[in-house]
Amino acid sequence: MTKKIKLKINARLLKKRFRKQGFGGAKHCRFCGSPEQNSFVDYKNSVFLRNFLTERGKILPSRISGNCSKHQRALSRNIRKSRTMALMPYTASFF
Amino acid sequence: MVRYEALVLAVPEITADEVKSIESQLGKAVVEKKGTLLSFERWGKYRLAYPINKNDYGVYFLARFESTEPTAITEEVKNLFAVKLHGVVMRHMVTKLELDQSLAYQRPQSLEEAPSREDSFFKDTKSDSHMSDDSDDSDDQD
Repeated sequence: MTKKIKLKINARLLKKRFRKQGFGGAKHCRFCGSPEQNSFVDYKNSVFLRNFLTERGKILPSRISGNCSKHQRALSRNIRKSRTMALMPYTASFF
Repeated sequence: MVRYEALVLAVPEITADEVKSIESQLGKAVVEKKGTLLSFERWGKYRLAYPINKNDYGVYFLARFESTEPTAITEEVKNLFAVKLHGVVMRHMVTKLELDQSLAYQRPQSLEEAPSREDSFFKDTKSDSHMSDDSDDSDDQD
């Protein structure tokens, strides 16, 4: 038997191959295994949390920031807390 | 023993006497429920991310306390801020602290520490924008 060759071009597989070949490098959660970075995730520390907002004040998706789901949840929880205390914006207005 | 912290946002025109009365009333409420007030700090004046009760500025306070009666003390403190101090306190938030958690924390700079208006959200994210300098006055209502 000859080796089976995949003829179909799949978008998902292409993306996977790009990732493996190191297009921009693999994304890594910056909080995993780093207690120092973890201690910054606090609703009072709004200066740090602002790194995880878009220009319009939305929470940056983990797809872009590269956080794992556990830390993304903790992060967004703290951003929402910070918003109720008016330390961070719900939306940024046009100007 | 459970440890809590309360972040309080007060109106900008708060007087020193009112600050003292908040602290004494909070201390009294905590002691009543068999707790101890660990700290009461004034952060200073801040520009709020959005106006609350038509106020663009506010003064933050952070209090830490612990008690052996967990639910009773939080209820008491929340009632104090929401009912008795309703005219002075705009927002309050009581959160639980882990006992092994360090009490050190980081906070943004207040207007009193840095008088320039660099706490604006746009100024630190879009510093290289091509907009004119007076553009941040557009959100002021005339």
